[in-house]
Amino acid sequence: MDTMQRYVSPVNPAVFPHLATVLLIIGTFFTAWFFIFVVSKKNSKEKTLIKELLISLCASIFLGFGIVFLLLTVGIYV
Amino acid sequence: MKISPVLLNLFFLTCFCAIKAKIVNKNVERSLDLSSQLVKSTIKITAEDTTGKPLKEYVLILNEPNLSYISVTDGSKNEIQARKSNGGLQYVITFGSSSAHQIILVETVSTKNIMPYPEEIKQHEIQFAKYVGLVHLYSNYETYSQKTIVKLGTSNILSHTQVKPFSTATDKLIFGPYENIKALSKQELVIHYENQTPFMTVKNLERTIEVSHWGNIAIQESIQLAHSGAKLKGSFSRYDFQKDGRSSQSAIKSYRTILPSSASGVYYRDTNGNISTSNMNSLNDFIDLELRPRFPLFGGWKTQYTIGYNVPSYEYMYSNGKKYQLKMHLIDHIYDNMAIDKAAIKIVLPEGADNIQLTTPYTINRRQNELVHTYLDTVGRPVISFSKLNLVESHIADFTLNYTFSRVSLLQEPFLVSGFIYIIFVLTIVLLRLDFSIALHSHKD
Repeated sequence: MDTMQRYVSPVNPAVFPHLATVLLIIGTFFTAWFFIFVVSKKNSKEKTLIKELLISLCASIFLGFGIVFLLLTVGIYV
Repeated sequence: MKISPVLLNLFFLTCFCAIKAKIVNKNVERSLDLSSQLVKSTIKITAEDTTGKPLKEYVLILNEPNLSYISVTDGSKNEIQARKSNGGLQYVITFGSSSAHQIILVETVSTKNIMPYPEEIKQHEIQFAKYVGLVHLYSNYETYSQKTIVKLGTSNILSHTQVKPFSTATDKLIFGPYENIKALSKQELVIHYENQTPFMTVKNLERTIEVSHWGNIAIQESIQLAHSGAKLKGSFSRYDFQKDGRSSQSAIKSYRTILPSSASGVYYRDTNGNISTSNMNSLNDFIDLELRPRFPLFGGWKTQYTIGYNVPSYEYMYSNGKKYQLKMHLIDHIYDNMAIDKAAIKIVLPEGADNIQLTTPYTINRRQNELVHTYLDTVGRPVISFSKLNLVESHIADFTLNYTFSRVSLLQEPFLVSGFIYIIFVLTIVLLRLDFSIALHSHKD
């Protein structure tokens, strides 16, 4: 008990709303890029699989963290 | 092994008899506070061994039914050891210091010992209550001198036991001093007096503490409240109730709940939704919540509601590496002079918490750990639950919960969401690559 310190959240709760906004905007940008990219392919035989996977990975990571911070902002403490 | 304290006690008693130790109560000062729905008593006993030997053990008999809380201290307010024996009716007090002269301070709180009498009253009538107790301290030992002061909080006393000498002050009854009372003497004390304080009992309290390592502790209390005073006879007239504010004083109109000063996002609701008749005042050390039920509570009436709030984790949580400690109130203030029949407490820890150890300030009835599934859970969050019957304000004390938790587990939730979204993306990629057309046709780009 003596050696223990008060536990503070790894992320300051005051920045939850800002983090949620920024991360969700970036996530939405990548998602948009992904869909524009896949629908505007000129030749379906083009080898773009790696690029598609990478863009969608970025999008999902940003959206995932964004959604969690959005939940924390609105009061659902997961 | 359960009978050993009793045997030991008997053994000591026989030993004491053999060596003819004679313990007497030189002076007993009792004060009973009957001004609320609880019986709060303070007993100061000056005990002495007349043979001059050091007094080591003292047997205290408490025959009070529904005893909720007891604390035994010595003259300098140090806690002294008291263990239950004889089915919880006797407390064997062992003194730390060896002296033939000892001072014992006993504080007890008991519930349901002040009964409304008459049991049913009309809306405008005054509530009277009856207390049945003992004039003298029921003790194993002879008492040289004793005095009892009964605080009633009213001067309207209908009747009381008249054992001379006694006197009445404005809101007090003073019995004694009585001299040379034999051991185990039982003389009934009955006081019938006006008691207009609302008799409120929390029939069932469910307190849930949800810990999040993102820096928040959410507390929710679901309360079933009943007016346990004189029942309402006849019908209730809202017109009479509104017209004459001084009548029906024993009804519950509103009461105060005290929350910790760091509480935020407070809500007060029931099954219908938010109960808007409430006020919140933020004071320096605490938050004062004035709660007004949807309807005034008369004798025998019930209501139920939920109250909840968030507190930041740094107020109640401590950490050292992987070890975490949660330290907070087992139960919290609901209203002044509260009486809780049954309390069930649940502590929800984050997913992945392990090696859980609970330390409580008093004995509780521990239940089996459960698992609960809420947002973004996979295997479920561990829930520690326990219950206790008959609690009062003196039971507001801290419990300590130790557990281990790995910080990396915090990332589980965002990655769970990310993984789910990524699966959708991969499915899109796969579906776009499939050709669902029935006939073969060549695009002319």
